[in-house]
Amino acid sequence: MEIITAFAIGLTFSVGLFQILRRNVIRSAIGLMLLSNAISLYLLSTGAYIGEKAAYVNQVMGEPVDPFPQALILTAIVISLGLTAFVLAMLYIISKRYKTCDSDALKGLTK
Amino acid sequence: MTLFSNPHLVALPVFIPLLTGVIGLLSYHFSRFQAWLSLMGMALSLACSFILLFSIAGTEQPLVFQAGGWIAPFGITLIADLLSSVFVLMSQLVLVAGVIYAMGSKDACVSYPTFYPLFLFLATGLTGALLTGDIFNFFVFVELLAISSTVLTAISDDPYGVEAAYKYFYMSQLAAFFILLAVGALYVSFGTLNMAHLSVLVQQSASGMMPSLAIAFLFAAFMIKSATFPFHFWQPDFHTAAPTPVSAMLSSVVVKLGAYGFIRMTTLIFIDNAELIQTLLTVLGIAGICYGGISAIGTHNIKRMLAYSTLAQVGFILVGIGWGTALSMTAAIIFAFNHSIIKSAMLMLAGHVASRASIKSASFDIVTGVGRKLPLTGFLFFLGSMGLAGIPPTNGFINKMMIFKSGIQSGHFYGLILIGLASTFTLIYTMRAFMLIFWQEPKETIYTKPKGDLLFAPIALICLVLVLGLFADPFIELAGETVNWLNDSQIYIKAVMGDRL
Repeated sequence: MEIITAFAIGLTFSVGLFQILRRNVIRSAIGLMLLSNAISLYLLSTGAYIGEKAAYVNQVMGEPVDPFPQALILTAIVISLGLTAFVLAMLYIISKRYKTCDSDALKGLTK
Repeated sequence: MTLFSNPHLVALPVFIPLLTGVIGLLSYHFSRFQAWLSLMGMALSLACSFILLFSIAGTEQPLVFQAGGWIAPFGITLIADLLSSVFVLMSQLVLVAGVIYAMGSKDACVSYPTFYPLFLFLATGLTGALLTGDIFNFFVFVELLAISSTVLTAISDDPYGVEAAYKYFYMSQLAAFFILLAVGALYVSFGTLNMAHLSVLVQQSASGMMPSLAIAFLFAAFMIKSATFPFHFWQPDFHTAAPTPVSAMLSSVVVKLGAYGFIRMTTLIFIDNAELIQTLLTVLGIAGICYGGISAIGTHNIKRMLAYSTLAQVGFILVGIGWGTALSMTAAIIFAFNHSIIKSAMLMLAGHVASRASIKSASFDIVTGVGRKLPLTGFLFFLGSMGLAGIPPTNGFINKMMIFKSGIQSGHFYGLILIGLASTFTLIYTMRAFMLIFWQEPKETIYTKPKGDLLFAPIALICLVLVLGLFADPFIELAGETVNWLNDSQIYIKAVMGDRL
């Protein structure tokens, strides 16, 4: 199971990193979201393999898992939701104002 | 328990701006009320940070606030030791000046109903990140800071604001991801995220791959945050396109967050690996000083010039942290404080000049000669330039002299020669800007508008520059005491963990 999680995190990371470096701004926004999900998975995996039952649940036998990484990614996911909304709003303005999604065309600042 | 040692005092500079921002959002129909409310909130918060600093100075006892009453490694800790309090006081001073400038600004964006609430959330994020004692909580406050500053830039009057905000947004997200990666690495190896607890555990067993990775990730995150030399490329664009009151905050206090993080890394969390971090900081700092100075000379926009100048001045702070002696750390803290005040005043003056130009722009093509009709602005700009270049009687002289003195004392002569040469660039570019704006004859098409942004905030800040330059002794003593606290990490650890070790 650890191996599968490791490969999943690695794959999400590499796809996210590849997409974030693309010229198309929409693709790079997708890359940003993939990266944030990869990091949530990574944080989850820091505490996922200690114990086997849900924490703070009675009547189930066994050692409880560490609830702390889950609390961390809950916060991280909420923040990344806000980020996604904001980046989509910015993409909307950019595509309307510049009439393109090519990040090479967004160079008003270098003039 | 008196007012002055009440632990709740630590939380006030964080929660007063947050509360005021929320009330401001609810009263978005009443724009004047919103502005005055923000000013009152920030002034109250500034008063609280003053009280905070004076209640802990000279006591050897940091104030600790445990949120919800959960004891140290389990709950969220807010801790004010001298370093945090000095940085909080610096941020709040500049933020109050920023609100005053925004109230007198003619920009369209300051009249948007979300401007003041976002400004106050920026204050919350900055103050919270400086006061927190928990790395994950640090990440949350840094995200708040990054998002509010990005939105504030995106709503700028500058047509390229969105583009600059988009650029910065990606960079700040990468920095946030680096912090999260470090959080994961530290949690796996030590099972805690409390900085004081981490410091104890790292000193017991710091070997292995994960702690080194955590150092690398945190280092990268703070490099992006403070725009250190190879990661600086977003900074001039972002600071140029932001509205003036916001860019004065970004270029002065927000970049200091990275410097604060480096100080915490070398004196609290990774004391055993401090030497490696300090060597890197010295090299990158000197590279930044040279690169920033040369780039500032070649710019064609006064705001962009000041942004590159920030790159150089942050380099001095990093060199001070990198040399690592008590005197150089003192110099770095004084440098951070003084530079914030000078740089925010200079950016406000640049914004004032741009608002009086015939087209609202800070480009040298437009503002050349505009200042001939503005003698007061010229005088203030001259004093600020002297502060940046480090000429007495301004406070810039004190911190540059202390950096050089600490370099001579610890014998870093090659570094001294390089930064000595590079700091003459400061004089060149500030005087170039002064001559172009306030001395040269304007072109025929250029005229000076009768009205522009109000000058209250830069006048107050420049007065502070002179006062801190003429009566520098108490502040130098305070910074020296701060470094004494930093050199004994047990003070911080004992205050947070108590006897539970």
